[in-house]
Amino acid sequence: MMNLSHWFRGMSPQRVLITLLLTTVGTAIVMPYFGRNVTFETLWLRMLVVAVVMLLSMTVAGNLPVERLKLPVWAKWLRREHIQLIALILAAFFGTILSGLLIGRSLIQMFTVDAMFWGMVFFTATGITVGVVAAMFLVYREREARAHANLRASESTRYQLEKQVLEARLKLMQAQIEPHFLFNTLANVQHLVETNPPLAGRTLESLIAYLRAALPQMREDGTTLGREVALAKAYLDIQQLRMGVRLQFSVELPENLRGAAFPPMMLLTLAENAIKHGLDPLQQGGVIRVAAELCDGVLVVSVIDTGQGLLEASSIGVGLVNIRERLAALYGRTAKLVLEENTPCGVVARISIPCSI
Amino acid sequence: MPTAIIADDEPLLREQIRLRLSRLWPELTIVAEATNGAEALSDYEAHEPDIVFLDIHMPVMNGLDAARLIGRGRERRVHIVFITAFDEHAVEAFERGAIDYLLKPFNEARLFETVDRLKERIQSGFSANYPPAGQDNVESDNTDALSIVLRQLSAQIKPGTAYLQWIKASVGQTVRLIPIDDVFYFQSDDKYTRVVLEDGEVLIRKPIKELIDELDPDRFWQIHRATIVSTRAIAGVVRGLRDQADLKLNGRPEVLTVSRNYTHLFKQM
Repeated sequence: MMNLSHWFRGMSPQRVLITLLLTTVGTAIVMPYFGRNVTFETLWLRMLVVAVVMLLSMTVAGNLPVERLKLPVWAKWLRREHIQLIALILAAFFGTILSGLLIGRSLIQMFTVDAMFWGMVFFTATGITVGVVAAMFLVYREREARAHANLRASESTRYQLEKQVLEARLKLMQAQIEPHFLFNTLANVQHLVETNPPLAGRTLESLIAYLRAALPQMREDGTTLGREVALAKAYLDIQQLRMGVRLQFSVELPENLRGAAFPPMMLLTLAENAIKHGLDPLQQGGVIRVAAELCDGVLVVSVIDTGQGLLEASSIGVGLVNIRERLAALYGRTAKLVLEENTPCGVVARISIPCSI
Repeated sequence: MPTAIIADDEPLLREQIRLRLSRLWPELTIVAEATNGAEALSDYEAHEPDIVFLDIHMPVMNGLDAARLIGRGRERRVHIVFITAFDEHAVEAFERGAIDYLLKPFNEARLFETVDRLKERIQSGFSANYPPAGQDNVESDNTDALSIVLRQLSAQIKPGTAYLQWIKASVGQTVRLIPIDDVFYFQSDDKYTRVVLEDGEVLIRKPIKELIDELDPDRFWQIHRATIVSTRAIAGVVRGLRDQADLKLNGRPEVLTVSRNYTHLFKQM
């Protein structure tokens, strides 16, 4: 059996009560006109028939899938409320006819006998007036409720955004140093102290620069692109020492972009990814290029590697997810992280943020 | 004269261990140096050394996998010493399995202990941690336990998961890499599959039929012969006409159809 219940969504005891009330009001209005020949009860019952027909029509019309109806061009402006209004007017008219038929009048008489016809017009008009006033009231209340809901929704979006910002900051505060990287670097330094002290010193300097940025309590909220690039370079210097000929890298930062604001730790994460997922798995290693440019008020910072590239099942990595969340929290939709395949191999990771320089 | 090979992808660290060994154990001859697990394996076959120093994290083939292959079905014995920078799991497992290991940065005293133990074992010529295959002794069980430990550890350190994490889609001249979490839904469209994102869509060639096998079933549900939806994107489900259902999305205006065969996904929710 077909389920009809969804046509009557919104039908509540409250609505039925209001209908009964309005029926009484309507009857009270038409009573003086018919008063001499009928009792209040008969009139009330007739009015009730009209009211029930109107209530049902309005409810069903309210549940019409307006969005999915294929309306002709001239009817495109039709909204749910308009359809409900039309349904109300038609229902008042046909409800009056129905109530007449129910008390045994003939359909032809209703339109030919003058008194009956004008009685019917009056009846219908009353039904329409009372019904439309009530419907307008309902629609108004529904609108208000919807506006309330919208307000609540926008408030909750705002709270969610605030939460995201806080979470993003928290994530930034967490240490991101890999012990593996740290101990490996120290092992290298340990060896260099014996064999090549000047290089050991330089490596320690790079390591200190890296640790300064990577240890959360040392980190600052806002930083400049110049400092972030220097940090990525410190990291790549260390990796260069470890990987030897397997890593070649270049850093291109135009002088005028040095002072541009840039969120902390993002560039480093991209450089770490390029090493870890790109070059490290390959025996021959590869090349990493860090570049920044300004086009049309958008600062684009890229890390381009010639590593093994991403496999479809490579895990996305906390680092990238973190960058995206933080970009969204800081800049909304105006900033983004895009990853592309490099040709012939490797990955291009590109952060774009609005820039006022 | 005992022989050894050193396998580490970092040139300086190979040099370091060679230097230290030459001081602590002048008689030991380093017959080869390898830069990854596969090289270590072929070096082992070429030189058949008594000892292999194996770094765990190496490209191409990691040290654990190399050790398993070196240990498999050999006629002779070989002592393997793992080298690792930091790996709680590995260290714990090595302790449990009485496997030799060295921590980077090297502690000279520790290397000395290891060298002592190795000398002892080679002299006694008996208890190498990889005894000949097929030899009926108590240690063959141990070897199996050992290779199980190695296999588990190796699985642990390998990156990636079984499920699809990235969508590779051509956009103009470039191939964009789209994290799977950005996808709202997949819908087949002629010979392509539309990948619908928050602010647009891309086309890929992989059909829905293949995709559903590669996607994480907790994160993506098939709701129609032609549609797979991300569970994160589902805002709600409304019963539709006949036995179908309409699925509304978070952040996308369109409504997707859940066909009869898949409505059970949303029952009792």
